[in-house]
This record gives sequence, C-alpha cells and structure tokens, in this order.
Amino acid sequence: MSTETMVCLKGVIKHFDTITALRGINLELKRGCCLSIFGPNGAGKTTLLRILATLARPSAGTVHIAGYDAVKEAEKVRPLLGVLSHRTFLYGHLTAYENLQFYGRMFGLKKLAERITEVLHVVDLATYTHQLVRTYSRGMQQRLAIARAILHYPQLLLLDEPYTGLDKHAVNRLHNLILRLHSESCTIIMSTHDLHHGLDVCDEIAIQYRGKIVYRGLSLGIDVQEFEQLYSAYVG
Amino acid sequence: MCKNSNNFIALMSGSKIFLQQVLALLAKDLKTEWRTREIFTSMFVFAVLVVVVFNFAIGADTELIRQVASGVIWIALSFASVLGLQRTGQMESEEDSLQGVLLALHDRSALFIAKMLAQMVYLLIVALCTLPLCGMWFHIDFIACIGELGIVFMLGILGLSIVGTLFAMITLHTRAREVMLPMLFLPVSVPLTIASVYATAQLIAGMTLRDNAGYLSLIGVFDIVFFTLALLVFDYIVEE
Amino acid sequence: MRTLSMLLISLISFPLLFIRKNSVFQTMMMYIVMVFAILLVFIYAPNEQMQGIVQKIFYFHVSSAVTAFSAFFLVFVASIMYLWKNAEWWDAVAVSAAEIGVVFCTLVLITGPIWARPIWGTWWSWDPTLTLTLVLWLIYVAYLMLRVDAHAPKRARFAAVLGIVGYVDIPLVLWSVEKWRTLHPKPVLIQEGGTTGLPFTMILTFTVCVVGFILLFFYLLRERVSIIQSQHTIEVLRHQIDGLSTG
Repeated sequence: MSTETMVCLKGVIKHFDTITALRGINLELKRGCCLSIFGPNGAGKTTLLRILATLARPSAGTVHIAGYDAVKEAEKVRPLLGVLSHRTFLYGHLTAYENLQFYGRMFGLKKLAERITEVLHVVDLATYTHQLVRTYSRGMQQRLAIARAILHYPQLLLLDEPYTGLDKHAVNRLHNLILRLHSESCTIIMSTHDLHHGLDVCDEIAIQYRGKIVYRGLSLGIDVQEFEQLYSAYVG
Repeated sequence: MCKNSNNFIALMSGSKIFLQQVLALLAKDLKTEWRTREIFTSMFVFAVLVVVVFNFAIGADTELIRQVASGVIWIALSFASVLGLQRTGQMESEEDSLQGVLLALHDRSALFIAKMLAQMVYLLIVALCTLPLCGMWFHIDFIACIGELGIVFMLGILGLSIVGTLFAMITLHTRAREVMLPMLFLPVSVPLTIASVYATAQLIAGMTLRDNAGYLSLIGVFDIVFFTLALLVFDYIVEE
Repeated sequence: MRTLSMLLISLISFPLLFIRKNSVFQTMMMYIVMVFAILLVFIYAPNEQMQGIVQKIFYFHVSSAVTAFSAFFLVFVASIMYLWKNAEWWDAVAVSAAEIGVVFCTLVLITGPIWARPIWGTWWSWDPTLTLTLVLWLIYVAYLMLRVDAHAPKRARFAAVLGIVGYVDIPLVLWSVEKWRTLHPKPVLIQEGGTTGLPFTMILTFTVCVVGFILLFFYLLRERVSIIQSQHTIEVLRHQIDGLSTG
C-alpha cells in the first residue's frame, strides 16, 4: 500500500432540486486501499459513488482522483475508473464478446481480443463468450459487468452494492474476485449492506448517514457483531 | 490486472479517439439492429402504411395523387423517423447502458454524432425501400431525376436525424416519451418539411436542381444551424 | 421588416426585466398606460375607412404579437443564461416568460381570425407571420408540456435547450413559410397590417398600446417569478421539516 492519495473529496455537497443528498463529505483514500461504506438507504451512498464516477457533478466542493480534478478534467479521470452499478450497462442483444469489444474500442485498448479472453477467464465466463447477454442469469450478468469494469485496467474500482441480488454461490465467487483485485493493488471503494463480505475484504470502514460520513476508521479485522454495535451507535 | 497499461490510451491523439468512439458506437447500434431488425422493420412498415392510407384517403384521382405524392412521402418519413427514434432511445435505457457509454466517452458529442448517423442509415434505407413502391403506386418516374432526388433526400434526412436525435435524447427521461417526442420534433422541423417537400415536388415535375436553389439552401442552412446548436447543448442534456 | 422591428422592441424592453419586484409605482404606471391605451383605441383613434370599427382589433392583435415575440426572446435569453450560470432565477424567468408568451400567442391566434373574417371573408389566411405564430404556439406549448413531464433535476436543462432551439428556429420557419406562401393563393383584399402610411392618430394609439402590453407582460412576469420562488422556498422548508421530525 503506497502513501499516495488516490481519492480526495473536500466539502462535497449535492442538491437535487429540493433535497440535499450530500451535506459536506470529506474523504481521503490512499492508493491500493479498499474502503467499504455502510449506511441505511437514503444515506447518499449511491450519490457519492456517482459523483466519484463523474456521472454527476457536485453542487459544491472539490473531487480529486489520482491528482486530477474530477469535475474540470473528467475526461482524464474516466479512463482510470471501473464502475459497477445497480444496472449492468450491458447490451442484451449482443454477446459477451461483442459487449466487451465495444467497451474496449471505446477505451482505445490495444490487443483487445487477448484482453477480452483474459478478462472473461478471470470472471469465469469463458464458456459463454459468444452467447447473447439476454440469456445470462443475474449472477452471470453481474460477473460480465465486472469484466466490463476491469477491462481497461482501471486504477479505481467503484462498486455500488455489488452483492445485492446474487445467490450464495455467486456472492462467494464475486467476493473472491474482489479479494484478488485488492491483492493486485487496485484501489476499491464499495458500498454494501452485506456486513460479512464487506468487512472481510476492506482495509478501512466508513459509515454514511443522512449525507454525511459519521464514522471513518480502519477495519483491523473487526467482526460482524462488533461492527453491528458500532453501527447502531452511529445510526441507531 | 489493475496496474499500468492505460498509458496507451493517452498516446492516441484526441481526434483519433473521437473517430474511433463514433465508429464503435455506430457499429454497436447497427450490430444490435441487425440482430433484431426491430427498428428498421417498424419504420418501414409504418411508412408504407402511411403511404397506403393516404392513397385510399385521397381517392382515385391519379392526378391529385401525383401532386401530393411528395408531401405524402415526407410525412411518411417524418413519422417513421419519430418511431425509429423512440426505439433508439429505448435501447439505451434498458440496463442504463447510457451511463456506461458516458463513462467511456472522451467527448460527449461523439454519442450524438453516432446516434445521428445510425438514424440516418435507417431513414435512408427506409426511403430506398419506400420510393420504388411510391413510384409504382403513384405512377411517378423517380429514375429520371434520381441523382438530384438523392441529394435532396440526403440533406433532408440529415436534418430529420439531427433534430430527431436531439429531441430523442431529451425525451429519454420524460414520462410520456411517446407523446413528447413528436410534439417537439414536428413543429421545430417545419422549415425542413416544407423545403424538402417542395424541392422534391419540383424535381419530380421536371425542374433542375438550380431551380430549387432556394429550397436547397434552406435545408442546408437548417442542417448547419441545428447541427452546431446540437453539438453546443448536447453536453448539458446528458450531464447529471 | 416586421420581425426585425419586433426583435428591436424585444431588445429595448429587455432592461425592464432587471426590475425584480413590482413596486406600487410600476403597478400604477402599468394600469394607467393600459387604461389610456384602451381609451385611445376606442375613442381617440379614427375609424378606418375601408374596414370600419373591426379594424380596432388590429391594435390588440399586433400588440399581442409583439409581446409574444418579446416573451419568446426572453425565454431564449433566460435559457442561455440558465445553462451558463446554473441559477434558479433564470429558470423561473424562462418558464414564466414561456407561460405568458403562450397566453399572448393564443390571443394573437384568436384576434387574427376575428379581424380577418369581416375584412377578407375568410377565417384564416396563411399569412407568413400568422403561420409563424401558429408554429411557435405549438413549439412553446410543447415546452410547457415538457416541463410538466420531465423528471425534476433535468427538467430545467431540457426546457432551456428547447427554449434556445425554438427561438433559433424562428428565422428558418419564417423563411420557409414565406417561400411556401408564394405558392398559396392570396386573399382578395390584401391588408398586411403594416404601419406605414397611417395617420398620426393611429400611430400614436398603436405605440401606446404596445407600450401598455409590454408593461403588462413584465408585471405578470414578475408576479409569476415570485410565485415560483415562493413555491420553491416552501418545498425546501417542507423537506427540512421532514428531516427534522424523523431525526
């Protein structure tokens, strides 16, 4: 783990018409670190991740990723990001190969065919390479979405509730993948409700409540029960 | 897997990336359409329906039909265009793939241009398929002025695609999408419709391109103005 | 020529926008000028020879048209400013101007046929300006529908784009409709309603009328904008109360 700062948010506020989703977020994360964000629905976790992904602009405050200003230099930041959201961003009428080929071309990747094969292998979808994505199960689609996210060698992975909607087998598979990515020094920020898996993989924890980060600390191998006590102390 | 190797992205120059992204988007759209053939089929069938119904409505007066033929064709194209645009927009809202595309985009206008080109392709093919039928049903000889007609149709369809794609992206997030798109698209494209219809009518009646210079320059100006406008405002439309 | 003069009037009245609240003085001014205008129209201005008393609609018809065009120009400017500065106020101005503009536009489309029928014997002549007004009416009604229909965060953005597109379309529509008009048979008695060659009394009445309508427009605009802003404040407060009560 290096000492270089990968992500730096200062005083980030986000208004939506009449609702204030984020009320001043300050966040710093070192390169290679894995951060799990916990919090109830409506806390603003998804909004925070969307702002980090440059899919939304903050109403106030600054966002820096890998030294670049994510608002003013968004085009430089985007190639560094891998984003996993609630929706898969995939095209149902194309095959897995064609989906990845499309994204590969968009990112201007060289030696695309090899990279696609490699990535499909990592997510264990190699045998379904030329099947239409429409025919995939939810778990398979999620894995392909991850393949899409890591295709262009991102430096920062943003995962929004990656374990939601998956069966136990799929969850374990996904978890191992995230552990593997983490061991390869990828910086990861993940929001999740899955306490067990979320705590297992992360180096640092944050609790978000009502648009603010109310707790931030190292995970230090905390187990689920201790964390639940901590969580109720801050959230209730 | 997460380390290095994004350097080769930075090496490519800006315009090369732009072109590559436009082509990638266009290829993706056309490939999807080739698989399902939904958009083209619905556009073509609808255009033919419009022509046929007009034929019945205006009656057996062949001379009258010949006079209004140009108007009928362009109405059919306009409405078919609206249909196609709705489907194009729908494609991006399934699984929110638009967000995925935005993440990969360097310059967002690449998305606009790709969508516009795709729409142009569909409309041109529909026009190519519908014109022979119109020629047969309305007893009009299109072959005689096919070159000049080609130019008018290219420019007119370009205009329809520009304005259409712009409004398609806007109405993507509205509740009554099916209603809003034609409500916005049709009035704004009135100048285009008028100019295209009368240019086509005059060409069929035997006049040359030069006689139509006024209409052609109108279509040309329309295309340029709206293309520029679309590029300027497109960022605001897709941004959150 | 006519559209140019309308654009000029729009530009000249533009500074009125920056008076943000309706003071008592301005409200009184507006009422006085409007009453004066009505008096002038019905009492002072002479009856036109050929058209008779119906011609008096012309004052209201053209004044409404001028106001509608000014309103849409304002929508155009406010839309650009909103996209540029991202300030709520400009969005409120754009919506209000569009709403009032559509009202005046509707008046033009109603008074037009009322005037035309006795004069030309036909309800509607596809006069270029009238046709332009019809197309504009369609575009800005669609604008208002878009505002109702779109999801909240992006709504103002989309409307702003449409506000710009609609106005930019005007010269193109006018150009195309004028070309189209050359193919259309003209009505028997051509009275294009121009202001050249009119006696002084009529010009004076006409000017006062236009000024009165413009003042009315800005009065309504300010009222509408302040209503929108109040609504917004209420919404924000309501959300804060909700937040406090559950906290």
